[in-house]
Amino acid sequence: MTVDRTALIGRPLRAANYTVSEVDVNDFLGVVAEPNFAPADGSGGSAEEVTGRLVPPSFAPFVAVLGLLKTFDWQDDFLFDYRTGTAMFGEQSIDFHRPLLVGQSVAISAAISDVYEKQGKQTFDVVEVTFDIKSREEGDLLMSGQQSYILFK
Amino acid sequence: MTAPLSKAWFEDYEVAMALPSVELGPMDRYDYIPIALILRDTNPLHLDRVYAQERGLPDVVQQGPLNQAYLYRYFTSLLHDPWDLVATKMRFAANVFPEDTLTCGGEVLALAPEEAGGGIVTCAVWQRNQKGEAILKGEAKARIPSRR
Repeated sequence: MTVDRTALIGRPLRAANYTVSEVDVNDFLGVVAEPNFAPADGSGGSAEEVTGRLVPPSFAPFVAVLGLLKTFDWQDDFLFDYRTGTAMFGEQSIDFHRPLLVGQSVAISAAISDVYEKQGKQTFDVVEVTFDIKSREEGDLLMSGQQSYILFK
Repeated sequence: MTAPLSKAWFEDYEVAMALPSVELGPMDRYDYIPIALILRDTNPLHLDRVYAQERGLPDVVQQGPLNQAYLYRYFTSLLHDPWDLVATKMRFAANVFPEDTLTCGGEVLALAPEEAGGGIVTCAVWQRNQKGEAILKGEAKARIPSRR
């Protein structure tokens, strides 16, 4: 059965929160060594405390991916069965408004901004999600952008 | 003409100037474990070689955000401050596998001076594997200070 997802355009997704934890950032820096962002030794406070320590911009795609995955349900919001279907990340665009900090708690709001079908070797739908990521404490806009998901038919 | 490897000033950039390319790797499959934990993504496609090969792939697939992170690191390493990054747009073109070697590079597309000095530099950025296949393609913008 072919699913028509165009009716999803404009659908708001649920609000979500994510904390940029020191553990995640340290694990990340253990893989993607960043000369200007050495891992902390953990002595600066609790893992969830905002330390003032900057997160490298290279971690931003992780924040967007992680945050957005909390805003939707594949079946309910995308009409997609993740257990049997094949999905991929498509294009991601991000505008950076303020640096991210270790320990910072962020709020993600998102909505489906477009859905269209494309034909490659297979037919697939592209679901575009527009998002804002704000600091939960101050409400400042940190990142905004779009993430597309490719859902094979 | 190729821009200096790092910390160029706005006046140093010209449209069509190539950014210096940087090679990294080989990619290490053991890096995929902490990345899977960070992403809360235990998809066996990234961790189980047999599972991946049963689906027609040569090996496990490196997580896409990790590919992006390497391209971000490359581009921001050229900046005076990594958070001078203004915007990015990236599209996945192909998968990365363990032992692949990646090359990151770019080219200046546009320059927009700002009244306060310096300006916004827009670059095409790319990541390719050792076969020359595109892995990531996109654009990155950064605020570059003036030398003065």
